Amino acid sequence: MSDFLNLILEPIREMFMKFREFLPNFLAMLVILFVGFLIAALLRRLLVRFLSAIGFDSWSDRMGFTSMMRKGDLWDKPSSMLGSFFFWIMVLITLMTGLNALKIHVIENMVLQFFNYLPRAASALLILVAGYLLSAFFSRTLLIAAVNAGYRYAKPVARAVKVLLLIMTFAMVMEQLQIAPGIVLAAFSIVFGGIVAALTIAFGVGGIDVARKMIESEVAERKPESTDVEHI
Amino acid sequence: MTDFYQTGSITTLHQIGKTSLERIEAELLAYSKARPIALVLPALYSEFEGPAMPGIVHELAKVKYLNQIVLTLDQASESEMKKAREFMSPVSAEIKIVHNNGRRIAEIYEMLSRNGVDAGQKGKGRSAWLAYGYILARGMSEIIALHDCDIVTYSREMLARLCYPVANPNMDFVFCKGYYSRVTTKMGGRVTRLLVTPLVRSIQQLIGPHPFLVFLDSFRYPLAGEFCMVTDLARVNRIPWDWGLEVGSLAEVHRNYSARRVCQVDIAATYDHKHQVLSAEDVGGGLMKMAVDICKSVFRTLASEGVVFSDGFFNSLLLAYLRQAEDTLMKYEADAAMNGLEFDRHEEARAVEAFTNAISAASRAFSENALGNPLIPNWSRVSAAIPAIFEMLEAAVDADN
Repeated sequence: MSDFLNLILEPIREMFMKFREFLPNFLAMLVILFVGFLIAALLRRLLVRFLSAIGFDSWSDRMGFTSMMRKGDLWDKPSSMLGSFFFWIMVLITLMTGLNALKIHVIENMVLQFFNYLPRAASALLILVAGYLLSAFFSRTLLIAAVNAGYRYAKPVARAVKVLLLIMTFAMVMEQLQIAPGIVLAAFSIVFGGIVAALTIAFGVGGIDVARKMIESEVAERKPESTDVEHI
Repeated sequence: MTDFYQTGSITTLHQIGKTSLERIEAELLAYSKARPIALVLPALYSEFEGPAMPGIVHELAKVKYLNQIVLTLDQASESEMKKAREFMSPVSAEIKIVHNNGRRIAEIYEMLSRNGVDAGQKGKGRSAWLAYGYILARGMSEIIALHDCDIVTYSREMLARLCYPVANPNMDFVFCKGYYSRVTTKMGGRVTRLLVTPLVRSIQQLIGPHPFLVFLDSFRYPLAGEFCMVTDLARVNRIPWDWGLEVGSLAEVHRNYSARRVCQVDIAATYDHKHQVLSAEDVGGGLMKMAVDICKSVFRTLASEGVVFSDGFFNSLLLAYLRQAEDTLMKYEADAAMNGLEFDRHEEARAVEAFTNAISAASRAFSENALGNPLIPNWSRVSAAIPAIFEMLEAAVDADN
């Protein structure tokens, strides 16, 4: 009878022991989540105030970040948007840290992977920002130069350069994030290479005469001077 | 039948006899291929529930030469905006609604403000200005026409006559203002008849001929809300956001273009729209607010052209104006009697007294702060402050639609 009772009670005792071991971890997770959310909310508020104070919104309007947001149908202030982004990153980190406190092997592995991925995500973000800025800069520079040179198709060319640079940036970001890198690389090579090849063919075929004239005039200019002395 | 007299420094295009609307529209259709025309309609949602808007939409549905219509809508919720869109559906031209109370446009105003661009307070001036910005952003039109949405006697002939002088490349006009007689069973247009014209003439009496005053006096209805202009003008002109909108806009046109390129056109034999109450005792509301803003706009423009205003000048002006206005009043009384129109002499005299107070209030306000309300900056300056403003404005309006 006693053995039979043990058979029943043992799993319950084990369950209780496991729960007793697990409970502090669970409580720790709850505390981490609560404090983490609180800190995240506080930091968001501080960050938004700081960004507003240094005129980040205005800077963002002039640099084209706001425009990028609007094209994505995001209509918050840039400072508030960045604050929210920062908040959710903090929430994600808090969540991962909290889950890690449970000391469950599978979750620990996932958390480790997450933290290992963070540097990649950060560098992808940097590439995205830098790429967008550079594309805007080159596009505008080209536009100004082309307009000043009286080139008729200044605007479409500037826009095309911007699109090409953005495609390149996008491919680099995806590669950095390791999201289907093979497919992205292949797609980028095909698209970018295709565009360049098309432009080359278009320019080559359309500009044969111009190229010939340029080469001929170049050759004519380089013709060696006659060594014969001319007498009046 | 009108006369053919040319007044002042601008060109006046009369309606002589019965002109063929079909001919004008056919020509406009041809011209619009090379110079596409946009129509800006500043409207409140309440106007869609009034008697004027159904007639306007009915008439606009027959117009073929418009490239785009930008309805800049105020005091409307999200659902009311959708209703306005449905209301406009019979019109075949592309219609975009600038929803001034929407969150996207609110963010555009907020962005302008944080970058030091003061778009002023809400009202027709600011709404129209934003609509011009959208048209510039789209880059689809070369001519912008604008008329109010409370015209009960609207016909598409009004729009055709308004657009024709600017759309016709042989005429070389950059700005065209509509004029008409605000007459039903009695004469309307008190602010123009009894304030603006007598005020302009009394200032001329004191300071002598002045190019801006001659220019302003050339307009038969300087406060008419209907005009047509080339889009370049929308890019370089600053406009006031208060009731000084019409006078301030004319001042900017005068500043930026030769009077030779400005005209006025007779657009309607009769015209009726909603009437403002006089509110003689309250200078902050009704026609009095309008009168004060207009006077300040005139003073500011003249001061910016070198005219010096002193207390003595303002005292003389009040008396000169009073006499001018009283003389004008008698002329209109005779005109009304001749044409069998009702004419309430007492009410007209009260209006003159109220406008005298308005001039006095405006002169005090001007003496205290000559700069007053700043004009809304032109779009060239706005795009210099925020290079991507046009892209963002386009994105906001397109997302709202």
